[in-house]
Amino acid sequence: MQYCTACQKAPATVVIMDVAELSVTGSQHLCQACAEQLGVATPKTPKFSADTLEMLLGGIKQAKRATRAEACPGCNLTVAEFRSKGRLGCPRCYETFRAELMPLLQRIHEAQTHTGRLPGVFAAAAPPAADERSLSDVRKRLEEAVRGERYEEAASLRDELRRLERGPTT
Amino acid sequence: MSKSKKGDKPPEFRPGAWLQGTGPEHDIAICTRVRLARNLRGFPFSPCLADHESRQLYDFVTTRLAQGGLPENLTVVHLEPVDELERTVLVERHLISRELAASKRPSGVAVDADENVAIMVNEEDHLRLQVFAPGLQPGEAWRRAERLDDALLQRLPMAWSEEFGFLTSCPTNTGTGLRLSVMLHLPGLVWSEDIDKATNTAQKIHLAVRGLYGEGSRALGDFYQVSNQVTLGRDEQQIQNDVLLAVGRLVQWERDVRAALLRGSARVRTLDRVHRALGTLERAQILTSEEALGCLSAVRFGREEDLIDGFDTAAINRALLLSQPGHLQRHTREVLKPEERDQRRAQLLREVLGCAP
Repeated sequence: MQYCTACQKAPATVVIMDVAELSVTGSQHLCQACAEQLGVATPKTPKFSADTLEMLLGGIKQAKRATRAEACPGCNLTVAEFRSKGRLGCPRCYETFRAELMPLLQRIHEAQTHTGRLPGVFAAAAPPAADERSLSDVRKRLEEAVRGERYEEAASLRDELRRLERGPTT
Repeated sequence: MSKSKKGDKPPEFRPGAWLQGTGPEHDIAICTRVRLARNLRGFPFSPCLADHESRQLYDFVTTRLAQGGLPENLTVVHLEPVDELERTVLVERHLISRELAASKRPSGVAVDADENVAIMVNEEDHLRLQVFAPGLQPGEAWRRAERLDDALLQRLPMAWSEEFGFLTSCPTNTGTGLRLSVMLHLPGLVWSEDIDKATNTAQKIHLAVRGLYGEGSRALGDFYQVSNQVTLGRDEQQIQNDVLLAVGRLVQWERDVRAALLRGSARVRTLDRVHRALGTLERAQILTSEEALGCLSAVRFGREEDLIDGFDTAAINRALLLSQPGHLQRHTREVLKPEERDQRRAQLLREVLGCAP
């Protein structure tokens, strides 16, 4: 192992070569500290410690939890926003915030289930099922298609949207 | 169905249900209102709508409303070009809420010519249907609202589920989305200081008691709104029964108190109160909105109990509406300072009630 030519104490980790006309004309071996002091090496980034790793992973974990369990996939409303405003953001919020909502409904209405009339078979919209999602998805894809000037695609998406909006009966 | 052009004034004055002074129990129950909250699938609820979605939703709904085939003949009033004064006028006529009047979003209201049906678009819920009937008539108002709702459900993809019924932004409206309210004139209960007891009793059985202009508004001129609070777990018929039962009791209570106020030594004090109010309306040159409402309330009471004559209840109801700040300024066709407003109000009330100038 070669020692630093400047301080003669630490092992040399940086090699500086003088290059002239495609051949090495001389070299200097330095340790990291001396190389930094001479301004020929940029300070190394600190190593990942267990702490920083934990912090980063923790952050990612938390962010994941926030998007998965706290924000509604239909409208991005978070549970904190729902709690502070007391308003739901979209029909899907009823499922997303079910755990929060049920006790609230019980307090307000002393009930948790609807007993009144429903649109039934004459409704323009079927009960919200899997295609609840497709309706907003299709609308989003349509907007993107228009923005990207993909008009053929947009036209077929528009027809699909109309069909979905009209529902199964009309 | 016609669609008004941008910049059109809202329809001219027609006496809505609450002004007619007719219907069952009309001496105390001024009018009954059914309100249904409905939302469209595929859009976030109004509070979460992005600007472009808000526009999209508004255009979609108003186009469908204008397509016709509905059981009501409605005119769409676009609120965007409507100025603050005209919006206030619509609020005072109960056609739009104060929230909608203050809204910066694309919003509007579809109204029938008699102003008994109004559909607000882009309020807290995408659609809010309102149907008014004079006096205490929950059944009548409900049937009309149900027919309109049926037609809308066939034309618009509404958000609902078997479990929660109609889905709304605020959990207080979930289920039926039905708010049934009755506007009551309760001077007897106020004068006898029984009103707090009466409102507490109503609240105990899950009814809300509010002022004339709904949530957060003060009870001016002894006018109150009583409505159901529960919308989930009770069906529409049960809600009507609940409200009818409670309002029936309040009406009876008011009648008993009125009888007591007109008996024995109390009678002369009551007569004095009514005649002083009438004297003020006939002679005062400056009247604040609050004083005017107080006087009109007393005079309405006097008229209903046959203590005075010379004008009918409908004229008093009309005076009530016309003395509100929006209508007053619209009538005089200028924006007035409060002092000028009070002067004009005194003058206008004399005209409406047919008193000497």
